[in-house]
This record gives sequence, structure tokens and C-alpha cells, in this order.
Amino acid sequence: MDRRTFVQASCLGSAILFLDGLDPKALGDVTLPEPPPIEIVHGLRSTKSRLGMPGLFPGRVVEVSDSNSIVRNRVSQAVVRVMVERGMKELTGEHSVAAAWAKFVEPSDIVGIKINPSGAPACCSSPEIVREIINGVQRAGVPAGNIVIYDRYEYEIDIGSYQALLPPGVRVVGIQDGLVDAGYDANVYCQATFFGEWENRSYMASIVAHSLTKIINLPTMKDHSASGVTGCLKNLGYGTFNNVARSHRSPYSFTDPLIGVMCSVEPLRSKAVLHIMDGLRQVWHGGPLTQVQDFIYQAGILYFGTDPVAIDTVELEAIEKKRHEQGAPSLWAHDADSITSNSQEFYNDPKRNLFYRRPGHIASAGKLGLGVADLKRIDHGRIPLG
Amino acid sequence: MPESSKTYEPSRVETDWPTLLYDTSRTGGQGIRGAKAPEHVRWHVRMGSSVRSAPVLRAGVLYVTSMAGSLHAIDVEKGRQNWQFQAAGHIHSTPSLSGQKVLFGCDSGKVYAVDCNSGKSLWETSAVAEVWTSPVIRDGVAFFGSADTRVYAVDVDTGRKQWTQELGGRVYSTASVGKLHVYVGCGDGKVYCLDVSSGKTVWSTATGNGIDSSPAVAGDAVLIGSEDFFFYTLDANTGSVRWKYETGLGISSSPAVYEDLAVVGSKDGFLYALEIQSGRLRWKVRVSDVVTAPPVMGSGVVCIQSGGTEAFDIGTGSLVWRAGLGGAVQSAPVLTADAIYVATNDGEVYALE
Repeated sequence: MDRRTFVQASCLGSAILFLDGLDPKALGDVTLPEPPPIEIVHGLRSTKSRLGMPGLFPGRVVEVSDSNSIVRNRVSQAVVRVMVERGMKELTGEHSVAAAWAKFVEPSDIVGIKINPSGAPACCSSPEIVREIINGVQRAGVPAGNIVIYDRYEYEIDIGSYQALLPPGVRVVGIQDGLVDAGYDANVYCQATFFGEWENRSYMASIVAHSLTKIINLPTMKDHSASGVTGCLKNLGYGTFNNVARSHRSPYSFTDPLIGVMCSVEPLRSKAVLHIMDGLRQVWHGGPLTQVQDFIYQAGILYFGTDPVAIDTVELEAIEKKRHEQGAPSLWAHDADSITSNSQEFYNDPKRNLFYRRPGHIASAGKLGLGVADLKRIDHGRIPLG
Repeated sequence: MPESSKTYEPSRVETDWPTLLYDTSRTGGQGIRGAKAPEHVRWHVRMGSSVRSAPVLRAGVLYVTSMAGSLHAIDVEKGRQNWQFQAAGHIHSTPSLSGQKVLFGCDSGKVYAVDCNSGKSLWETSAVAEVWTSPVIRDGVAFFGSADTRVYAVDVDTGRKQWTQELGGRVYSTASVGKLHVYVGCGDGKVYCLDVSSGKTVWSTATGNGIDSSPAVAGDAVLIGSEDFFFYTLDANTGSVRWKYETGLGISSSPAVYEDLAVVGSKDGFLYALEIQSGRLRWKVRVSDVVTAPPVMGSGVVCIQSGGTEAFDIGTGSLVWRAGLGGAVQSAPVLTADAIYVATNDGEVYALE
């Protein structure tokens, strides 16, 4: 029984998933602890969708760039509109924008747009892209009232001012208000004890388990102190389940394999049909929360795909390259001297980190069948617009 | 002729703080002699849920709304709750006081008037979508905006709608209301001037992105920030841009006004003091965190909740004191001669003295 089948077999019951630590390019001689078993429990009867990850276009990534999309840190709505339309048509092979969006959503859908507001205001999912996604979804016939922009923490959404900036009629939902872990389904969870924590379960958001029928994922493009990078997979997995910070305690992290495991849980896996990565701004150090502009690169790039593993693999390569250019250590480096518990030191020095990063979570997700993690097998198309 | 938007209700005593930033001119308690460095916590009360609005104060009672949908009336002497009123949804709206009523909106779209003494509902009215704005009361009328894109004017005694005006986007900006005009920002990026008696648009001025900030009116100038990174000063009569000042990121903080100075925070983490007449920067200072809350003026200091609560010298911008309480988002402290009242994102309310 392979792992993908194993996860599928757990749909109506419980199973224990074992994954070994996968850091194929781990550097340094630090021995990292093996992850504990992760139990997935859910009693939902969900039908697997052919649109679910890795979706209609496994292994395909469309990169659209335009240097005019972000000028002096301001995002151009007009340029982003052209980029989104071009990217969607290129990904789907459709000639019209409406037809491209109709590949993924239909008028009766309740469409969730999973933003990433953590790191707001310096680097978060751009409201300008959210507006274009809403526009595209509406062109496919979905009414505004069926569109939900959501994330875990409402106060982070508030810092990004999404509520005020988005079109009327769409709902903006914070799953929890920062104090109370309401809004989660007690019957769907991932259970594992990483560091002896008393609460060892992470529950799936009810909005994902029950309300939404489709999810469009809008991650940002950042390094991450624990997981190496945060992209499609982490935005989706750690934004859907609660109590996820327990997976990393300095200096160790079990984000690999937990991120991929969470993304594999139904119905999340089937509902996440499209991923558009916001690479207008790219954080190469200090992610996910940094506000230090020195480490935020205004690249003006968007990535489109249905395969989150492929997009994250491309992201990982890009962030790694940028770090190399800037003289920062590899995301794969496991150097004991780099570890600090001083967050200010971490935020201001690219050579320091809070954890041994685990970018291998992307390959682990690939092993779970969520997509293609091998760069050589990824069809990476590039469309420079300006 | 431009009108002053200052409204002082006759029953108010010096320590009253009846609406967001003290009065509809957003003067923020500039005449109050207190605002000294707090030395200890007199009391603190747990709300049981995050507080995302600013408290208001009248006659020794602090009114606080919470994300659990509750309005709390707290006796400031004892630090004990007098009563609690449960609304139909989360509350982001800062309450406003008028006579013996406390008004606020909630995420269900309802706006409530609750009796200050008993905590009983007096009336309620509804918008179509959430009301995060604070009702602003002038001459017996309460004005508020909603995410349904409308601005509403309702009778403060009955809740009966007098007019509604549809704008081009969501309204999360709390209005500033003068004798003749209502000024408000909108998610469509425009600043609107509406006729106070009919709601008809007198003028509108576009900025470069949506507006989450609430305007202040100083003389014949309307002051407001935009998510386009600029802070604007508009002519209150015509809407023409007199000057705009560029910050490093979007502005959702609302300005506070002190004599010839407007102080506003930006999401770039700086607090800016700008001369209203010229737009000249008098000082700017980095604060602890991102600024989305409005600053509040005390005697000689400007207070801001950003990470903690910090007070800066109004003349120079130098740090006077800091209390590690508060957090960012929309809350703002209430300053009195005796104490500072702070509500936090973690759901605590503190009386500092």
C-alpha cells in the first residue's frame, strides 16, 4: 500500500502515517530527529475530485512576469489584471478568460480564496490579485455572495485591510479571532506528539470541511524559518488546520512531513483546485513575518498551476538562488552556529535562523501524490510581459 | 462656508470620552491634563474575547465591545462589570455615546442603541452587511457606514432611517460629521462629502487605492489616509487636494488633530506629525510595530497602540513612556486626568494610573 492509498484508506476511519525525514540535500552534520507517527482522523464522506491536487495540470507551472506590476512597492491593478488573464489562459489553453476560469469553478460553487495575510503589511497576498481572482470567478458565473476570502486569523486580515479593499458582496472570514479556537471540526484532525505538547491534535477548519466547494489558493513567496519556504502547501495546510505552531520548537521542526500530510487530507485535497502564487514581492530572509524591507525583493512575478508541489519546487529554487546571490546560507544548511533564539537577531541577519529549516516538506508532499517535486519533470513556462 | 465639526454635548464632564478619538473632530483629548507615564495597573478585566475596537467613557463607566459580540459596561472605580449586552455577531465597532444611549454596530449588520444604565436594548436597525464603523452622533442623528457600500443616517431616539446613500465600495471608515456635511472614506478609493440632511453627494475625490482610514476635519480641511501610501489634506468645500504626503506603506490609521498638527500612523511602522496648513513634516518616529490604530493626543503627548502603548512628545516625537500592553489593530486608549484605559487584542482591558 503506497502512502497515497494509505491516506485515502483513512477517509472513513483512522490510520497512522509514517514518513521518514527527507532532506535529500541536507547540509551540515547536525542529526535531526525523526518525525513521530501522524494519525489522520476524519469521518467525512467526501468524493474525490479530478480537480483535486495535483489537479488538471500536474507538473505544470506558468510564470508570468512584468516589472511594471510593482513599482516603488505599489502594485498596479491594471498590470496585474493582464498578468492574471494571460496566466490563466496559458495554464488552461483556453482562448477566453471566462473559459479559463470555468475549468475550475461553476456558478453553483462556494469558492474560497485562501489568502496569506501573515506578514502583512510588508508581504502578504496582494489585494490587487484577490480582486482579479474575484473578477475571474465571477466571469465564470459565480455570484459575489458565493465567494469567501478567508484565513485563520482575522486580525491579520484586518492589518492587510482586505475587508475594506475588496468588492462588495464577497465575504471576508477569519476562522478564529485570535483567542478562541472556534470554527474547527472536532471530527477531522491530524494527531501527533512532536514535543510532548498536551494538545496534540490539529483540527480542520469547518469552512473547508463543510462550507466551501472549491478553494483557490493565493500564497505568498517567502522563505520560512522552520519549513524552508512557505508557498502553496504551507498556506493551504497550515492555514486550514489549527494548532500548527507546535510542529516546530527551536531548533527543530517537523513541518516536514506535517505540511504535506495536512494537504493530503480530504476534502481539502479535492477542493483545492487552483494555485496562484503571489511573487510580486518575494521574501528571501525573515519569513514569514518579516517587516524588514531589505529582505523583500520586488520581483513582479505570478505563478499559476494546479500542482502545489511543482509551484513550491520552483519557488524553493528561486528563493535559494536569491539567497545565494545575497550571500545568505542555503535553506538546506543545518549549521548549529546559525541557530539563535533571539528573534531580532534572526530578523536582521540572514545568516541566523531560529530552526533547522525543512524544505524537504515539498518532496514529502510529492511522495504523497500531491504533485511533482522533480525540477527536471516540471513543465515551467515563462511569459515575460514587460 | 466650511463648518467646524466639533460637537460638545452639554452633559459631558472633563473625563468623558463619548466617541472614537474623543469627539467627531478626532481631537483625541488634547486638553486633558493627564496622560502621564502610567506607574501601575489599577485593575484589569478579561473580556473573554479579543477587543478590536476602542473603549469610550462617560460618568465613570467604560464601555467596551468585544469580538464575542458583547458590549460591556465597566465601573472604572471598582474595575467591575455593571452589565453586559449580547449582540447578534462579532463587534468591531467602537461604541458612541449620546445622552443615556450607547450605540454600536456589529458584523450581522445590526446597529444597536442600548440604555447606559440598564444595558437593555432601546432599538436596533439593520444594514445589509457588517458595520465595523463607529456611529457618529450629531444633532440627534447617528451616521454610520457599512460593508454593504451604504452610509446610513438614523434618528438617534428611534433608530428610524432618515436617509441612506450608496457609495462605490465598502465603508469601513468612520465618518466625520459637521453641521452641513458628512465626510467619509470608501473602499473604492474615494473620499466622499455628503449633504448631512439628504445624504446626497456634494463632492468626491479619488485616491490611488481603497480607504480604510477615518477622516478628521480641521477647520476647512479634511484629513485622511489611503492604502495608496499617501496622507491627504482636502479642501472641505470642494474636495480638491491641497497636499498629500507619501509614507512607506498603506495608511489605515486615522489622524488625530492637535492645533496646527495632524498625527497619523502608517503601516510602514512610523508615526508622522504633519503641519495641516503646509503638509510639512515636523517629525516622524518609528514605533514598536505596524500602525493601524489611530493615535490619541494627551497633554503634550501623542499615544499610539502598536505592539504596546507608547507615548511620544507632541513637539519632538521623542519617546516619553511605553507600556507593554495593547497590541495593534484598531484599538485606541482613553486618556483622563487620573488614568489611561487600554483595551487589547488579547481581550484584556486595563486601567493604568
